Amino acid sequence: MSGGPPKALPSTGPQSLRDMPHPLAGSSSEEAVGGDSTPSPDLLTARSFGDKDLILPNGGTPAGPASPASSSSLLNRLQLDDDIDGETRDLFVTVDDPKKHVCTMETYITYRITTKSTRVEFDLPEYSVRRRYQDFDWLRNKLEESQPTHLIPPLPEKFVVKGVVDRFSEEFVETRRKALDKFLKRITDHPVLSFNEHFNVFLTAKDLNAHKKQGMALLTRVGESVKHVTGGYKLRSRPLEFAAIGEYLDTFALKLGTIDRIAQRIIKEEIEYLVELREYGPVYSTWSALEGELAEPLEGVSACIGNCSTALEELTEDMTEDFLPVLREYILYSDSMKSVLKKRDQVQAEYEAKLEAVALRKEERPKVPADVEKCQDRMECFNADLKADMERWQNSKRQDFRQLLMGMADKNIQYYEKCLMAWESIIPLLQEKQEAK
Amino acid sequence: MEQALPDPERRLQPAPLEPLGHPDAGLESAVGEEAEGARDEGPGDGTMMENNFWLKKIEISVSEAEKRTGRNAMNMQETYTAYLIETRSVEHIDGQSVLTDSLWRRYSEFELLRNYLLVYYPHIVVPPLPEKRAEFVWHKLSADNMDPDFVERRRIGLENFLLRVASHPILCRDKIFYLFLTQEGNWKETVNETGFQLKADSRLKALNATFRVKNPDKRFTELKHYSDELQSVISHLLRVRARVADRLYGVYKVHGNYGRVFSEWSAIEKEMGDGLQSAGHHMDVYASSIDDILEDEEHYADQLKEYLFYAEALRAVCRKHELMQYDLEMAAQDLASKKQQCEELATGTVRTFSLKGMTTKLFGQETPEQREARIKVLEEQINEGEQQLKSKNQEGREFVKNAWADIERFKEQKNHDLKEALISYAVMQISMCKKGIQVWTNAKECFSKM
Repeated sequence: MSGGPPKALPSTGPQSLRDMPHPLAGSSSEEAVGGDSTPSPDLLTARSFGDKDLILPNGGTPAGPASPASSSSLLNRLQLDDDIDGETRDLFVTVDDPKKHVCTMETYITYRITTKSTRVEFDLPEYSVRRRYQDFDWLRNKLEESQPTHLIPPLPEKFVVKGVVDRFSEEFVETRRKALDKFLKRITDHPVLSFNEHFNVFLTAKDLNAHKKQGMALLTRVGESVKHVTGGYKLRSRPLEFAAIGEYLDTFALKLGTIDRIAQRIIKEEIEYLVELREYGPVYSTWSALEGELAEPLEGVSACIGNCSTALEELTEDMTEDFLPVLREYILYSDSMKSVLKKRDQVQAEYEAKLEAVALRKEERPKVPADVEKCQDRMECFNADLKADMERWQNSKRQDFRQLLMGMADKNIQYYEKCLMAWESIIPLLQEKQEAK
Repeated sequence: MEQALPDPERRLQPAPLEPLGHPDAGLESAVGEEAEGARDEGPGDGTMMENNFWLKKIEISVSEAEKRTGRNAMNMQETYTAYLIETRSVEHIDGQSVLTDSLWRRYSEFELLRNYLLVYYPHIVVPPLPEKRAEFVWHKLSADNMDPDFVERRRIGLENFLLRVASHPILCRDKIFYLFLTQEGNWKETVNETGFQLKADSRLKALNATFRVKNPDKRFTELKHYSDELQSVISHLLRVRARVADRLYGVYKVHGNYGRVFSEWSAIEKEMGDGLQSAGHHMDVYASSIDDILEDEEHYADQLKEYLFYAEALRAVCRKHELMQYDLEMAAQDLASKKQQCEELATGTVRTFSLKGMTTKLFGQETPEQREARIKVLEEQINEGEQQLKSKNQEGREFVKNAWADIERFKEQKNHDLKEALISYAVMQISMCKKGIQVWTNAKECFSKM
């Protein structure tokens, strides 16, 4: 587990990082590592820097003369490359197996979180814990707190606003499970967030509540400092790229909102269409009962319409369960990203203000005082982290939407294919007797 | 008492058609040129060939509709639509068709023709006219009689009506029908001169009037029941179909919104932009495809409507039978009572109540001469009655025989036509599904390029 001065996690016992044997060292009394993946050379190299040289945004030593910003972004870049190469992946997290718990005070659902990792931060190669939604919520808050310069993925909505949705229905639970799985996977894929200790605790601790009460005092260096950035400074000028990101996110969220409304409207219309179809089909049956030669053809048409109705129902269910939630997640994502941007603005503003103050008092020192340097360092770290995260975000956004929209197209294609099959199959039935005559 | 129905080929019917032109057997009326290609299942495809008696091949088409203004009976200005009916004879030798007649008729004249046919051919299931007012409309369709789409569908319906009549083995020979196609002016007067309105039995108009018939032909009772049920189920079907069309329209049109928003979104994207933009275009295509789809479906609805109205015509034949049967039973009853009276008078026993009997009781016996006179009158009446009953019976049997023959013909036509309609409906649905698959596959490809 990465971090500043090694602080033991209650769950793993009072061992410091240096004391813990590396899983690959083999001398551990615990279960040996799965062995299917060795830490990548890059990672090993990074580790061999030693904590002193390792400039990680969420830990490490105070900045030296070397610009911290470039080191961290260098590392980020390295780790970004890691992620692209799937074989070097060393952390796998899955969310599954929802279960309902009925207690005297409340009823709730827990999900099983399975973690497999060869990282040194993990004592064991595999973990299996159960977590509920509020645990995820806690994790997210902690990540926001401790990693304020990064974009934290969104959680599915806490409360269901629309209509009367059963929190315990299979569909709702499954939709939520998928979203929670995505949430953890996004963190797992993040070169910085995935090393966050709160994340580690979340994945491994047997009793998470005990941890929550303790309140982790460990914050990243930058996190700690950003936390205390006061607002109230006015920003001179936002760097172009961040202004562009801000504008982009505004429009992006708007368009997604529109798409969400359109999708909902389509589902609504489809459901109303379905209602009519469900009345329409049976009328052919009624008619069929009156007829002789036409009885079979009419009954066939009735059955056919019934099949189409079923296919339509499946389409609306799929869209509701698979399409809408992902859309909403991205709207939440862009909202939280905007707050991070604001925070960045504040950091820059503070720096500029302090710099100006110094400039006015110029006679005293030839060089910039330490606290102004700290501000600059803070700002540059923030900018670097944010930029890297934005790039990462843009990439996965593109993948996610590509998949989402292709999925939507697929569902519609399947719907029409089912209907086509139904209608094509009754043509011979309708034509039958005619030839016989 | 209305006159009994004669053999349809003779009395009460204006002179049958003179054979025209070639002494060809095997006549047919072919489908008119203006048919929208949806008439393949119609009567004009030669299925009735062996039954037609026109000695000359003809083609009938209602080719145009025109808005007109004129003065009506109350000298008020009115707007109406006139339809151009063109008749062509297909000369056998060179196969060329020559326009023989061309005239304009309005809907009310078609109605007049049909009412005439109903009176003179009560045993025939007379083809129906297209609806007078637009019913079963969904929101996009207009209920306005002057709406061009409505007028167009009505034009097709009127043409269909004429083709049905022309291909009917018996109706096609009617002179009034012939004149309808050939004599523009004065036709109305000619029809009215037949006096058919007088012959129409007002009792038939009262749909719910019941005659207590003691011995109805069971087949007709069942048939009437069937026609009622058929009317009910087809109405229901048409109503729900209209709602289905409405909803389907909504589903497709909302997708059009994707086009716009994808386009706007693509403006802020780099790599995703093109894919989004082109996908949006496909969504527009999808949204606009519904207009043609639903227009085609209206043809299906029209085919159903024709049989909805045919069910009424079927019912009318059953009612006519009921009426005839009722009159027959009344006549028989009357005869029986007269015979009874006669017998009592002759034997002196009074069993049946009669006014004469009462007055005799009150005012004293009548003289033997008076009684003889009465007996003679009664005997005459009985004789007449017996003759009438005999001919009524025969007419009744003729009616049943002829009506049933036409009903069988109608049943076959109905089964054939409706099966064709269902097939074409299935084909429409298949086409719609294929279009849907195509559009979404195109969109999917665009998304994949994102």
